[in-house]
Amino acid sequence: MLGLFVVYSLWWTNVIADRAAGRQADKVRHQWAQEGGDDTPAAFDARNGIGFLHVPAMDDGDVLVEKGTSSKVLNDGVAGYYTDPVEATLPMTGKEGNFSLAAHRDGHGAKFHNIDKLSKGDPIVFETKDKWYVYKVYAVLPETSKFNVDVLARIPQESGKKKAGHYITLTTCTPVYTSRYRYVVWGELVRVDPVDGDRTPPRELGG
Amino acid sequence: MYGWIWRHLPGNAWVKALLSLLLALALVYVLFQYVFPWAEPLLPFNDVTVDNQ
Repeated sequence: MLGLFVVYSLWWTNVIADRAAGRQADKVRHQWAQEGGDDTPAAFDARNGIGFLHVPAMDDGDVLVEKGTSSKVLNDGVAGYYTDPVEATLPMTGKEGNFSLAAHRDGHGAKFHNIDKLSKGDPIVFETKDKWYVYKVYAVLPETSKFNVDVLARIPQESGKKKAGHYITLTTCTPVYTSRYRYVVWGELVRVDPVDGDRTPPRELGG
Repeated sequence: MYGWIWRHLPGNAWVKALLSLLLALALVYVLFQYVFPWAEPLLPFNDVTVDNQ
């Protein structure tokens, strides 16, 4: 029984989640393609996802980003941006703030499984319909309390920042297979590239 | 328990073996489809967010 539960949580939930994420990702890509490459602003349909996260160091392809961090959202094998307790500032708004995200470490797609492979200087790229937002990791907190909501702050002081800027925060659980602590990675925006007709990825992604 | 099930299944040893297999598969299906998804949020293995709760 216990063995079956392990199989279920580490394998079956990934199968289900990857299937769901693939479906939703296709929908988003399809919608982007239909809207075409003109200058109309990207349709903001948070339910289908707002874009894709590319983290070469984590080596798990493009991760769809959706609104919210409830297990209902995250169990579909996506990353969610925080709406609570501290609302994330989305990069598309152009405002200074913190784009805070969460995803599963194990099971349900395990999109942030390799978060420990990220180190300072590694790129985190967020792709929207018409922009590549290139972030660079500048701080890592390998273990913190799950009550430490300050890591999501507009200016995450614990990462060493004092001034407002364009930050990104990835959170997941640690150590692997448990949820005792949280693992946090902070990055800062270095560049915003426009998406060209072929969606050529920025050089950080080997484009 | 397994002995009881074995004795109460109809047919010869082959039919019994086949029925046992089907029973096992049905059990796995019910567990994966209903029991585990229900139990999972109650167990502290999959909280990934920071929050105030």
